[in-house]
Parts: sequence; structure tokens; C-alpha cells
Amino acid sequence: MIDPMWAVVLGICLFTIGLWGAVTRKNAIIVLMCIEIILNAVNLNFVAAAAQHGDVTGWVYTVFAIAIAAAEVAIGLAIFLSFYGHNETISLDEMELLKH
Amino acid sequence: MVSAIDYALWIPVLPIVAFPIILFLGNVFKGMPAWRGRWKEGGTIATIVIGTCLGLSIWLIVGYIGQVTGNESVGQIGDWLSFHMVENGNLVSYSLGFGMYLDHVSVMLLFVASFLCFLIAIFSLGYMNSDPVNLDRNHRFYAEFLLFCAGMLGMVLADNFLWLFIFWEIMGLCSYLLIGFYYERPSASYAAKKAFLTTRVGDIFLLIGLLILWNLFGSLDFSVVWAEDNIAAVDAGTLKIALFMMFVGAVGKSAQFPLHVWLPDAMEGPTPVSALIHAATMVNAGLYLVARMFPFFASPAMAGEFTDLAMLIAWIGGITAFMAALIAFVQMDIKKVLAYSTMSQLAYIFTGLGAALWFANTGHEEIALLAFGASMFHLFNHAMAKGMLFMASGSVIHEMHHVHHEVAHHDSGESAAGNAAGGDHDGGQGGGDDHDHFDAQDMSNMGGLASKMPITATAMAVGSASIIGIPLIGGFWSKEGIIGAAWKASLTSGGAWMLGPALLLLITAGMTGFYMSRMWFMTFAGKPNTPVANGVVEQTPFIPIPLITLTVVTLGGIVFAGFEFVHWVADGHAEMHFTHVLSGIGSEMKHAFLPSGEENGALIFLVTMLTIVISTIVGPATAMALYGGRLQKGEKAKPWLAWLVSLSSRVRRNNHFDNSIWANSGLADSLHQRLHFDAWYDAAMLKIVVPFANACAWFDQHIIDGAIKGIEYGSQEGSSVIRRLTTGSGRDYIMMVALGTLAIFVLIWGVA
Amino acid sequence: MISNAKMQMRDREFALISGLLAISAVLMYLFPSFAVENSAGQIDWITLPLVAFPLIAGTVLMAFASMQPYRLKDRIGQPIKLISLAFALMMLGISSGLLFGWLESINWDLSQYNRYELDFEYAWIQSIGVSWHVGLDGLSFSMVWLTTVLIPIVMITTWEEKIGWYHHPLILMMGGALIGVFVALDFFMFFVFWEMTLIPMFFLILKWGGDDRRYAAQKFFIYTFTGSVVMLLGIITLYFLQPSSQALVDQGVLTGRTFDMTQMAIGAQAAANADIAWLGIDMQKALFLMFLLGFLVKLPAVPFHTWLPDAHVQAPTAGSMLLAGVMLKMGGYGLFRVCATLFPEALLEYQWLLLTIGMVSLVYGSFVCLGQTNLKRLVAFSSVSHMGIILLGIATMEPLGFAGAIFMMFAHGIISPLLFAVAGAFKHHYHTLEIGSMRGMAKHSPWLATFMMFGWMASLGLPLLAGFVAEITVLIAFWKAFGWWVILPGITLIVTAAYYLWSMQKTIFEGGDDGEMPESLGGAPAPDISLWEVSGMMLLAMLTVLFGVLPWIFFDMMTGYAYGLFDGILLNVITGGA
Repeated sequence: MIDPMWAVVLGICLFTIGLWGAVTRKNAIIVLMCIEIILNAVNLNFVAAAAQHGDVTGWVYTVFAIAIAAAEVAIGLAIFLSFYGHNETISLDEMELLKH
Repeated sequence: MVSAIDYALWIPVLPIVAFPIILFLGNVFKGMPAWRGRWKEGGTIATIVIGTCLGLSIWLIVGYIGQVTGNESVGQIGDWLSFHMVENGNLVSYSLGFGMYLDHVSVMLLFVASFLCFLIAIFSLGYMNSDPVNLDRNHRFYAEFLLFCAGMLGMVLADNFLWLFIFWEIMGLCSYLLIGFYYERPSASYAAKKAFLTTRVGDIFLLIGLLILWNLFGSLDFSVVWAEDNIAAVDAGTLKIALFMMFVGAVGKSAQFPLHVWLPDAMEGPTPVSALIHAATMVNAGLYLVARMFPFFASPAMAGEFTDLAMLIAWIGGITAFMAALIAFVQMDIKKVLAYSTMSQLAYIFTGLGAALWFANTGHEEIALLAFGASMFHLFNHAMAKGMLFMASGSVIHEMHHVHHEVAHHDSGESAAGNAAGGDHDGGQGGGDDHDHFDAQDMSNMGGLASKMPITATAMAVGSASIIGIPLIGGFWSKEGIIGAAWKASLTSGGAWMLGPALLLLITAGMTGFYMSRMWFMTFAGKPNTPVANGVVEQTPFIPIPLITLTVVTLGGIVFAGFEFVHWVADGHAEMHFTHVLSGIGSEMKHAFLPSGEENGALIFLVTMLTIVISTIVGPATAMALYGGRLQKGEKAKPWLAWLVSLSSRVRRNNHFDNSIWANSGLADSLHQRLHFDAWYDAAMLKIVVPFANACAWFDQHIIDGAIKGIEYGSQEGSSVIRRLTTGSGRDYIMMVALGTLAIFVLIWGVA
Repeated sequence: MISNAKMQMRDREFALISGLLAISAVLMYLFPSFAVENSAGQIDWITLPLVAFPLIAGTVLMAFASMQPYRLKDRIGQPIKLISLAFALMMLGISSGLLFGWLESINWDLSQYNRYELDFEYAWIQSIGVSWHVGLDGLSFSMVWLTTVLIPIVMITTWEEKIGWYHHPLILMMGGALIGVFVALDFFMFFVFWEMTLIPMFFLILKWGGDDRRYAAQKFFIYTFTGSVVMLLGIITLYFLQPSSQALVDQGVLTGRTFDMTQMAIGAQAAANADIAWLGIDMQKALFLMFLLGFLVKLPAVPFHTWLPDAHVQAPTAGSMLLAGVMLKMGGYGLFRVCATLFPEALLEYQWLLLTIGMVSLVYGSFVCLGQTNLKRLVAFSSVSHMGIILLGIATMEPLGFAGAIFMMFAHGIISPLLFAVAGAFKHHYHTLEIGSMRGMAKHSPWLATFMMFGWMASLGLPLLAGFVAEITVLIAFWKAFGWWVILPGITLIVTAAYYLWSMQKTIFEGGDDGEMPESLGGAPAPDISLWEVSGMMLLAMLTVLFGVLPWIFFDMMTGYAYGLFDGILLNVITGGA
């Protein structure tokens, strides 16, 4: 069996990549994808830990996370669509509504 | 049996209850004919109330004199405040009570106060209600007048120093209100403020003195603080400080140097107010307070401890007497002359009390009582005479004013209706702010009134004689006693310092003779100086009643002296000798003119004679030479005045001299400036206190509130700096979340 | 004609509604006597309606007003005012009944530490030890009576001044919150009501204030709130410093601790009897300072006073009257209820601090007064100066000083509303507050001039008026404690007289035969104050005289309270320290 340590290392790598992408990219769709990568990194950690301890809880959480991620993507894309409909852009530099 | 004492509480309570009633009725019925006519705008109520008070007082006094049981405390009516203090680790219960106290001094002052209040109330019915300036606001006068009476009568009857102080302050308030009665005049409102503030300075001293006294005795009741055992138990030094502080309060109230500046300005009030408050009653409150210190000085336990304080009292009196008489020389305003005369005569009493206290403190009990009695008698005589003098001056001013109105409006051809309207707009009889600057109080506008106003002239002459101390008239007996006491003290061992006040009093006696005569001759002798003075007639109702009454009382001073009043008022155990009037008069005469058989008898005799000579001959003769004169042709004064007028004209013809060197000298100039005290006090106020207050206000607004505003501004600035972090971009927030999480992990690892 | 008739119909409707409300209020007052099982017809619960009904009635009235259709809004003003006044008078009736013992004979001269009349406890939030614990003693009852008497007077005085449907209900709510502060014996309750008083006052200033009202309202709110946050920290600290008690845990209190002041007072007394400092002297001092800050800001004392003049100048008459009359007293009340009761050692330790702050407030405040030209600022600073006397009274550490300080709170609570009523009427009728902008008010507004003079005289400590009693008692104790320092209060009394007389000279007096009108009137004639204002001021003036002549009505209960405090705890501390 693969040492769970490797899965954790992979998870860290994926998390870092996702975070980096989420912070640096302009395009909202790419940022959304990066967030998905972060979620998957977390899922990987859950699975690895579950395998380590022989506890199903981690798998249950993973299933939950995947389901929620799907919903989130649906909502996120809907928001971007709606935003594009209003502003004809989905560049994150243009989204400053939080400031006000 | 019904006793007067059971009703004594009503004496101060009745007027104090009537005060709001008159104010209210006056505000409601203002302007109605019946209110103006029969009710005299509240004057009727006031007179009835005061009359009742006088009746109750006389009932009380007769009972007191008849019993002759010595000091009698009517006793506590109840606790006013009860409280606890920590004493040596325990809680001890105390209380401040309220009650009535009667003894010879309070009985005497009770009579003076209620009698004069009543007479002046009658006087006001004529004086106030016939002046259009006062129309529709006399109710205010009568209400405040009654409140004042309550204050004075309450102060006299109070059985402890706290209530003495309370009523003392009530009088101060009424003095303020009544000086400012003509509120629309800037000079009146300034004078009112000045009077209140100056006396307030003294009052604070008095208050602190009372605090010390309370701390020493644990009580302010007369019966407790005068008890010999209690006095023996306290520290003499602290008690002396307390007495000194209380004395400063008395100085403020009785307008003595250096807190004297308010009294002349107080003449801005209506004349009845000047007569009652600023001559006859309230200014005696300070004397009453000092007289109430007598038991402390007389206590054997304190023998020799307070001699310097007694000396100080005498010196203050001497200085004030001299200074006030000096300033009175140059006054042209008839009321101001009387004001300075009041100040000077009160100072006599202060010196007399100082001598009495000094004798008491050095163990000369008999002379002390004599001097004390003489001072109290002078208080009595002065109150009667000065009340009358002010009312007489009021009579003159009133008639002058009245005639001036008629003359002025007749000349300008105004109708009778215009006359009444003009009266409303006129500044009143108060002097300088008349539309044509005619001053009804200025003596240079008068002259020759002796034939036109016989009652007033007589009253004025008798009153002046009493103040001067013409032999056999009221003031003479007491004044001789005071001067004699001061000289005796200066001749007793250890009393050499008393020589100063004694000399000053002697000189002042002559000066009194001059300025009082000057006032009388300028007003009543010679030819009328203005057409207004020529047209004056004595016509106002009510005014003659108090004048005649008081003339009789003043002339009857010799009878009072015959009752051995001096002994009685000093010592409650002595009796009034009603039955032996003649022998009493005889012994008083002998005592006054031939004081043989006493220590230093020859010198005292010399002083007495000297006083008589300079006060009754030198002073008035100088005044005659300068201001005397025959009446206008065809005018004839009453026989008892005619000789005086013709004597003055003869003296003037033979001995007139030019006093312009004096009148134009620098001294006269500074006397006109009242020796610059007012200017100095004003300067101190304007140059020190007001800038300091403005600096405080600036400091508060710019430094303290500035600091708060600085915090406010700083936090706004800071928040706008921090606000820049909120770019609104989601990526930045994610970044911050990440960094924050990282920081938390680092912190946790660091701690672990 | 028709519209007139309709209007009458409407008025009748509103009369009906108001009558119903009044009847329901009476029923509500009677109800607890059935609801609360109590032996022998005790009326311990009576404080509950005193607190709750003004709050409920005020809220209901405001909700009622806001729900009315717009076209009716003109006509509901009068009924709402009437209902508010009815409630206020009922409160006054209850508190006066308690004072004179109409409802039940009550001994207000309690001379026992930590003993309360009408002591009533009901578990409120049991899990953290919060209870509805109320009770009255000589200290709090005088404040409660003062509040209940002021509320109707404030309503009467400002009856016509401001138009609006929320004004009088807000005053009513204010009264409920203030009474809540004074009856609370539980820190949680105390703090809740303490903050609740801010809300009506904030809106009073914000809605009916002067030109700069936004700034003043915010400054008032934030400043006093900051002070009370520090106090809240103190309360929480005090809560957690107690040892967890198993008995309380058994009763269902999860933390095993309580917010109950009386429980803490028992602990403090036990510690003082054993000659040890409760909670340790350092902790006591820290707590003392935390509470002190909250109270000093409210009092207010120099240097925490600058919110007061701003708030007063901008506040409407009702706001000023309540602010000066009762809200400032919360600070002094807290000093007694918390600092003197629970932290006696720290109080003794910080005697010098109270003395210094009190003296600075007194003397400095009076000089600042002398430098003011705005009538309301002058009166506001005179409040600062007078509040200094309360601190001095406490600093004396004498029962007389304590009683005098409490009487000062009471007397100032009657006099200062009169001062602000006068200043408010002045503003209302002359449209200015500048002293010296006009002369000869005695001619044009004799009633206003009369009350101005009366109020000013009462405030400068004229005998036979309430203020004098407070001053003389504090000064007697002050001389005993500090001796010649009494010169400074003495100077202040002179300066106080100076600024009051000066301001009267420049407004009431002078002005020649016709007087001078301020430019702000623009040549229009100045009317005298209305009958409503006269009645309100007259009532205050009569109270001032009443308690100046017969001070013992309340002074005896204050003496009793001070005796209890010293007998129970302070005397131990003072003698233990010496």
C-alpha cells in the first residue's frame, strides 16, 4: 500500500497550486477551478487519513465535500454568468463590490 | 395660659408666607383699579402682616421685660437635620436644630426691626404708590419687602448660628432684589450685583467660621456654644480663628472697611429700601453677630486670649468711621451722604463693641458691660434716627421729583395725559438717567426747603442732631459712652493700641457734626437753587406718620437713657427702671458730664467735653459758615427751625471763608473717587479673575475637549488608513485569509 | 362643519383608546398581586411595574403611532401625550405611596448595611446566575422618587414645545430605564438598564436637538459608552473572580457564580470583618478604577466632562432636563452602590484621587462657567462644578459627607431641570442662547425672568432652597476631614455667585425702559413663556423650596443609608487602616 504520507504531500502540492492560482489569476473561471483544486487537495487528505486510521468518517466527509463542491460550482458559475450579463466581464479586477 | 412665646414662630413665618401670596396676587390683578387703589398693589397686605408681626413682637417683648428672669431660651422647636460623624472609630449622632432664643439683645433688636419695618411699610404706601415709575410693579416691592422682614426677624429670633446664617442670606437676597428694583437701569443692576457679591465674600468667611465653630463644639446652638464648660474645653487658637472668620462676615454685611464698597451704590434702590435695609436693619446684622460673640470673650477660660481680635474689631471700626466721614464731606447726593453717615456710625458701634470685647477679655467685666450697653444703645438710636433721616430724604426727593415733572412737562406744553405717559418713560427719581438730566437727589438743586417742608425739615434736624450727638438727644448718650469706652480702654494697661481708634472716633465726632449739618443746611437753609425747589410742597399722604413717630422716639432718647437702658441691654439681669426715670436721667447726666470718682476721671471728662465741643459747635459752625443762609423773602420756617436758619445766615455773613483750595485739592478728588477702592476692586476683577476665567474656558475647549477631538480625529484618520486594505478584490481577501491562517499556525507552533 | 364633526369623532375615538389603555394599565398594576404568591399582601413586586410599564407603554405608544395612517398623524399627538402623562403620574403615585407609606408601611430610615426594602428576587437567566433582583434603600429610593417626579414635570414643561408622536413616549421609556438602574441589585440588570438609558436620550437629542445635533448625539453616545465598556469589563472580572459555588451549581447555575450585588456585598462585609481586603487589595484597586471610570464619565467629572456641554447645548429642553436631572446622578449613584459598598479598602486608598478630581471639577468648573457666554453651556458647566461636590462628599469618608453628597444628587436633580427648563424656554422664545444678546427680560417675559432668578439663586446655594442643605452638610464634613482646603470650595461659592449674577445682569436686568431684543428675533415681539412652561417650572420651584425648608423628608433616609454603610463595612476599614 502506498504510504499515506505521499498522499498528504500530493495534497499540499495541490493546495499550494490551487491557492496560487486563486490569488494570482484574473479570470474568475480559472479562480473557480483553482478553488476546486484546493477542495480536492483537502479531499485527498481526508482519504489518506481515513486509510491511515481505518475510519470511514474521512470517506464520508469526502463524499460530502464532492457533493457540496458540485453545488458550489453550479452556483458560482451562475453568479459569474449573471455578473457577465451585467458587466460584460468576469475579470476579477473589475469586481470590487466588497469595497462598498 | 396663652403665652406670646407660642406664637413667636409666626413672627418670621407670617411675612415669609405672605411673600409668594403678594407676588401671585400682584401678577394676577396687575393694573386693576381696586388693586391699585384700596389694596395699594399689595401694600395693604404688607402693612397688615408687618403690623401683626409688630404686635406679636411687642407682646413677646413686654412679656420678656415683665418677667425679668434673665436669659431665656425659648428652646428647640425641632431637629432640622440629623446625621452621624465618625469620632474615634465610633459613629456619633448629631443634629442641627431650629428654635427660638430670646435675651436682652435679641429683644432690643426685635423691637427695632419690627417697629421700623412697620413704619417704613406705612411710609412706602405714600412713597411707592404715588410714583408713576413704580406703577404695576409695587407688588414686587412689597413682596420682597416682606421677605426681607422675615429674614431680619428670623435672624434676631434664631437660637443658633446656622439659622442666623440662613436668615442672614435671605436678607442678602432681598437686598439684591430691592437694590435692583429698577432693573432697567444699568447702574441699579450693577449696584445689586456688587452688593450681593461683596457681602457674599464676607458670607463665605462667616460660613467657614461656622464650620470651625461646629467642629469645635459639635453644635451651633447658642445655649451649647456659650456654656462656660464647653468654651473651657476648646482650643483658644482655633476658636479665635473661627471668631475672626465670623467677624469678616460681619464686616461684609455691615459695610465696613475693606468690604464697604457696596453700601453707597446700594442707594440705587427705592428710598424705603435704603431706609430699612441699608440703614436701619440689615446692616445691623453684622453688629448683632459681633455682639453674639460676647460670651466667648467674656469667658474666664479665654481671658487674655482674644485681645488682639478685639483690638482689630476696634481698629476696623475706627478706620471705617474716619474714612466714611471723610468721603461724606464731598458727596452731593443726599442719599449718598446718609449712606456714608450710616457706614461711619456703624463703625462707631464696631469700635464700641471692640472696646467692650477687649474689656471682657481682660477681665474688666463692669466696664465691658457698660461699653456693650452703650454700643447696643447706639445701635438702637442710630437705627431710629437713620431710618427717619432716610425717610425724610425720601420725602424731599419725592416732592422734588414730583414738582420737576410738573415743571418740565408744563414748560414743554404737554397735556395731563402726556404727563402720565411721560411718567412711565421717565427714568424715575434715581438721578442721572432722567431725560433732561435733572437730579432730584442732588443737594445743589435744593435749598430753602425749611419753610416748604416743615415736618420733613424737623425730622431731618432731629435725626441729624441725634447722629451728631447734640447733648440730651438720643444719639448723644450712646455716642459718649462709646467714645468714653474707647478712651478708657486706651488708658488701661495693655490697651495702648486702642488709642488709635479712640482718637479717630474723637475726630470723626467733629466731622460728623460738619457733614450732617452741611446736608441739612444745603437742603433746607438758604434760597432755593432751582425753580423746582421753589415749588416744593409737602403733600404726599402717609409720609408724615413715620416721620413724626420717629421724631418723638429720637427726642425721647433721654427717657430711654433714664430707664437705664444701657445697663439693661448689656445684662439681662438688670431691670428697666421705669419708675425712676428722673433719678435715672439724673444719674445718666452725672455719668455723662461729670464722670468723677472713676479711674482717669479727669481725662475722660476732658474727652467728653472735647467731643461735645467739636461735634456740636465746631462742626456745625463750619457747615453754617459755608452753607448757611437766610430763606427767601416772605418764607417763614416754623419757630423751632427759624432760629437755626437765621443763626446759620448770621454765621455765614460773619465767618464765610473760601474753601476752594480744599474743594479743588487732590484729596477732594480722590474722595470723589471714594479713595479708589471701587476702582481697585473692579480692576482686580477685570484684570485677574475674568482673564483667568477666559483662559480656563479656552483651556477647556481647546486642550481637554481638544484632546478628545484629537482622539476622534486620530481614529478617523487611522481607520481611513486601514480602509485602504479593503480593495474589494476577492483575490486579496483570499490572500489575507491564507496569510492569516499561516500566521495562526506559526503562533501555535511558537507557543507549543 | 362636516370635517369638524369628523374630527370630534376622531377625538372621541382617541379618548376611548386612551381610556382603555389607562384601565388596562391599572389592571396590569393590580395583576401581580394575584400572580405572585406572597404572604400578607406584601407589595415587594411593586418595583416591577415601576420599571416595566413605562418601557412597555412607551414602546406600545410608539408602535401605535407608527402604525397609524398618515392622515391621522396630526391628531394622535395629543392623546399620546395624555396617555404618557397618565402613566408618568401613575408612577409618581406609586413612588409617593411608597414614600408616605400609603400602600404599606415601609421603614425608609434603614440603618443596616445591605438591607433593602421591597427586596424581590426572581431567577432570570439562571444558567449564568442572572436574576431579576431589585430592592430599595435610602440611596436608591430617593433617586427613584426623583425620577418619577421629574418625568411628569418634564412632560408638562415641554408639552407644547416640540411636535411629534414619539417625544413623550421616549421620555416615558427614559423613566423606566432610569428606574431600572436605580432599583437593580444585580450587575447584569444594572448594566442592561445603564445602557438602555442611552437609547431614548440618543434619539431625543438626534431628533429634536439643535443645529449640531448629530455630532452631539454621537459624542454623547460614544463617550459614555466607552466609559461603560470599561465598567462592563469590571463587571465581568468581578463575576469570574468569585469562587464557583457548588450550591449554585445545584440550583442550575452552570458557572456556579452570580451577578448578585447583595451576595458580593455579603462577601465584602465578611472580609472586612476579618480585616482582610476582599479579593485582595490590588485586584480591588483595579476593579475600583474600572468602575470609577465608568461613573466619572457619567457624572461627569473633569477631565471626562466635555461631552456634557455639547450634549446639553444641542439637546432639546426635555433631554437637557432629564440628562442633568437624573442621568448624571447615575454616576454618583454607582459610586455609592458599587465603589463604596464593595470596594471599601480601595475607596480609602483612592480617597486622594476622589478629592483631587472633585476639587478640580468644582473649582475649575466654576471658573470655566465664568468664561462662558452661552447660557446652556454655562448651566452645563455649573453641573460639572456641582457634581464635584458629590465627589468631595464621598472623599470626606464621613457619614455626613455621604448623606450630604446624596442630598446634593437629589437637590441638583430638582434644581438643574429648572435651570435647563429656563434655558430651553429662553432658546425657544428668543431663538438664541447668547448672554448679552438682549437686555431687560424682566420687562418682556416676567415669568421667565422670575424663574430664571429663582433657579439661579437656588443653584448658587441660597438658604431655604434645596441646594444649600447639600452644600452646608458636605462642607461641615469637609472641614472635619480636610480642614483649610475648604477655602477652595469657598472661593467656588463666590465665583458661582459671580457667574450667575453676571448672567442675570446681562439678561434680566438693564436695557432701559424698552429693553433690548436679540437680533435673532428680527424685531418680532418676544412673548412670555406659555402656561405649560410656567406650570412645570412652578412645580420644580415649589419642590426646591419644599426640600430646602423640610430637608429631613429625604435627608433622614440618606443619613440612615450612610449610617448603615459605615456601621456595616466602612468603619471597620477606616479603623483597621488606622
